[in-house]
Amino acid sequence: MTVFTALFSHYRRHPWQGTALALLMLLATALWTGIHHLTSQARDSLGQSERLVEVREQVQRVDGAALTVEDFVLLRRQGLCVMPWLEVLPEGQSRRVIGVDPLAALCFQGQADVASFDGQPLVGQPFLDIADAAALTAAEQQLFLILAAGEGPLPSAYRTAPFALSPDTGQLGDSFLLNLDALSVLVLLITGLLLRSVYLLSLSQRRDSFALLARLGVSGRRVRGHLLLELLCLAALTLIPGIWLGQALASVLEGGFTNVMEGLFDSRQLATGGNHWRVPALVMTVLLLAVAMVDWLMPMVARATPGNRLRPAAATLLVLVGLAGVWLANALWLLFVALALVLAGIGWLMPRGLSLLSGAGVRASAQPGWRWWWAEFGVLCRRLALPLVALQFSLAMVLAVQALVITFEDTFDRWLSQRLSADVYVQVPEGADSALAANWLTEHLPSADEGLWHHVQRGSGRFRHGQAWQDVDIFAVTPVGPLMTGWGLLEQTSQPWQTLASGAGVMVNEQLAYRLGLSVGEELELVLAEQALKLPVLGIYPDYGRPAGEVLIAGQILPADFEVTFESFSISPASVPIETITDALRALWAEPALTIRDNRAIQDLANRVFEQTFMLTRAMTVLTLALAAVALLLMGWVFLSTRLWYFRLLEVWGMTKAEIFRKLLLLALAVTLSAAALALPLGVGLTWVLVQHINPLAFGWSLPMAVYPVFWLELLALALLIGGCIALLMRRQLGRPAVRPSVTGSVTGEER
Amino acid sequence: MGGELANGENVKVHSAVNVSGLRKTFGQGDSAVAVLSGLGFALPAGSSLALMGRSGSGKSTLLNILCGLEQADAGTVTLFGADGRTADWPCLRRERIGVVFQEANLMPTLSLLDNVRFRAALAGQPETRCQHWLEVLDIGELGQRFPDQVSGGQRQRAALAMAFAMAPDLILADEPTGSLDRNTANEVADELFRLQAETGCSLILATHDAELAARCQQTLDLGHRSGG
Ligand SMILES: Nc1ncnc2c1ncn2[C@@H]1O[C@H](COP(=O)(O)OP(=O)(O)OP(=O)(O)O)[C@@H](O)[C@H]1O
Ligand SMILES: [Mg+2]
Repeated sequence: MTVFTALFSHYRRHPWQGTALALLMLLATALWTGIHHLTSQARDSLGQSERLVEVREQVQRVDGAALTVEDFVLLRRQGLCVMPWLEVLPEGQSRRVIGVDPLAALCFQGQADVASFDGQPLVGQPFLDIADAAALTAAEQQLFLILAAGEGPLPSAYRTAPFALSPDTGQLGDSFLLNLDALSVLVLLITGLLLRSVYLLSLSQRRDSFALLARLGVSGRRVRGHLLLELLCLAALTLIPGIWLGQALASVLEGGFTNVMEGLFDSRQLATGGNHWRVPALVMTVLLLAVAMVDWLMPMVARATPGNRLRPAAATLLVLVGLAGVWLANALWLLFVALALVLAGIGWLMPRGLSLLSGAGVRASAQPGWRWWWAEFGVLCRRLALPLVALQFSLAMVLAVQALVITFEDTFDRWLSQRLSADVYVQVPEGADSALAANWLTEHLPSADEGLWHHVQRGSGRFRHGQAWQDVDIFAVTPVGPLMTGWGLLEQTSQPWQTLASGAGVMVNEQLAYRLGLSVGEELELVLAEQALKLPVLGIYPDYGRPAGEVLIAGQILPADFEVTFESFSISPASVPIETITDALRALWAEPALTIRDNRAIQDLANRVFEQTFMLTRAMTVLTLALAAVALLLMGWVFLSTRLWYFRLLEVWGMTKAEIFRKLLLLALAVTLSAAALALPLGVGLTWVLVQHINPLAFGWSLPMAVYPVFWLELLALALLIGGCIALLMRRQLGRPAVRPSVTGSVTGEER
Repeated sequence: MGGELANGENVKVHSAVNVSGLRKTFGQGDSAVAVLSGLGFALPAGSSLALMGRSGSGKSTLLNILCGLEQADAGTVTLFGADGRTADWPCLRRERIGVVFQEANLMPTLSLLDNVRFRAALAGQPETRCQHWLEVLDIGELGQRFPDQVSGGQRQRAALAMAFAMAPDLILADEPTGSLDRNTANEVADELFRLQAETGCSLILATHDAELAARCQQTLDLGHRSGG
């Protein structure tokens, strides 16, 4: 125990070092907890949005009257599992909210579709507790009753109808979550780097104590053991406040401050909080142990790569192998391993590269003042290597997430407007004759002046793949008009839509094209209701929603005996009012309770749920960046403090404090700016891998790749801000008397 | 240059350093330590003064005040006829006052030659003479080495080369040989006094070493004064 007290006494003499170490550990724990919390929230939020747009069954009254609470009570009394779904457009607002009853959803347990609501608190907008939604002053309000699958016969006054808000977003969400997972692994890596740098810093500050202990005959193994113990003690002290802080931070980011205050008194929120602490606590403990254990592993690595000169070569090799792996990987896990190799190599090379830069700077400058500056820059980069790499990775991650989120937002938006291109969507009721409606619409909406419409018929067909025949979804549209021709195509022949309209070709979705290696112009052999067709592929359209392959054809080539499983009309009325159209359809089909959905409202609703998810994701990256910045700030400050004497020497040599501050500022800015500049290509590369490689491998479709230079500038400005803060902290130090470095310290090569 | 000043007319008019009624107290209240209380002395240009006294008697504090790194609580300091209260201290330190500490006088990131060049450039002296100063101090062949690659004595020689390369009027040396063995200390001191005499600059030397102090023209023992 004497060794332990001897070691710990260091912190009694330098309380701020201990505090900085504890603070960084606390912040790192907070970061990981926050990320974990936000990721789970994003997952829940996305889950709810998917529930929102999923096809389900709803209860309707046979007489077409609106449903009321009495209907709900009556059905529940009959022992039927129904869940109320109250859509409210609050007075004076343009966006709807949805009230759901988590308790009523409990009977859905075990069914995937509404399960995400059972008993769980509702994650933010647009979902509310039904009581809160009902309490709003509503401009418009409609109650739906959703029926659990397989529920027994309904009373005669009711019947079932499909209930769907919009097309299934399934894979788009899954893909986003996969990317989110990849990024949280990166965050873990960054956290590890930061912890490691703090740990090393604490070791280097105590070299004198270790030397003393060694002289007293204490074995290195014993010292290391005690250090580990000490680290665990510190961890025990910082873990719980860190977790608490992380959750508080995540809550602030996710719901604003008021929510947090409410959350403190809300048992439901506390209950979920309880579920989120175990994983971060475990992960952090393992991470801390790993950080301390690296010292046992490093000698082995050092032995494996003899000589300093070979290491950059080894790192370069790592990067090259990783890049080749990223390029060639044909399995998701291979890709992740390759990516890890690239990151490790870059993390290894980056300080080395900056050090080379510093050497070149020294050689290139004739003035001794600049030679000093470049040499000092090199020392700073070497000593702050770990936090710098952490900052570089965080900046790269922020960049990737920013691009990813914008891309997803954009894609989701475009995809929704593609699928919801018409204003109104009318489902053809079972048994109704769609031809009647089609004739009526042809007659009354002959041109865009009256309104646009098309008729969609879905079913299943088969296509030839090599020698075998496989099932494929068929998506037939009549007429192929302006509601379709706005779709963006990934590849196309000339005049694809005209050719499609004439029935002389088909279009396929990206999934099918990727799977079959199909490109435009190739022929596809189809069988629709026993009728064989051989048609060229006119275009490939992006389709992010479903894993299934899909073939788009003009309705006119659909055989008469094709089995249509789902039918709908999409209508964008112009001079003919929508009421006229829906009244006509009700009359034609003798169907008073027609399901008519307002696509714009659905689009808005779906967008908002995604907004929530994206907001959480951004919050996560901001948190990471903030931690990396704070870490660099602290470490930069601590390290520069140890060199304070040499800055004072400049003062002794007659430089003014302002001149010294300018030198310091330039140093700090150069260091943070280089990290940011090196982060840019890494971030763009990371985005590219996520969007163009991981997605096609996982889902068979790629997202468009976009770069946002304005955001680069913002990041560079942020790097400058961090550098400025370090320099300002140092200016305070410069005013204080400097401690002359001890003789032993000044002769160790470390300082050069 | 110091040499010119030593031979010029104004030597008789001005002292290089004139100090009177100097007071310095660290801390406040009960914990206050009166380090300097009413100190006064005059140093003619071109001559040397040894500061003696027990550890903690205020030698380093006085040197810090004489180069403007610390402010006195009361009293006047006059350097080359300029009042310390209005003097441009950074300019004085840059061009006229060379400071040599016991150790850590060199930038660890620069070679010995670059250290000398850096110091000379700040003082506005030609860099072409830097190698010459290293040679004068007998470390001419070590110019490309870094401070951690030479011995303590060689480092102090380099520190002297730096001080003389700036062509100072006054050198403040705070135990410049304090961390060296006797032989090396003597060699370094020999160089210091030889060059001081050659260039004609003034020298204030803080030391515990009575032998070294005896080589100065004047001696000021702070140890006796710190109580009064
Ligand atoms: N910044 C400071 N704050 C408080 N006390 C100080 C400060 N600097 C010096 N002192 C005190 O002033 C006194 C004189 O210090 P100084 O360094 O001048 O002594 P010294 O004569 O140079 O000693 P040594 O021979 O050991 O170098 C000492 O008691 C010291 O503790
Ligand atoms: Mg002293």
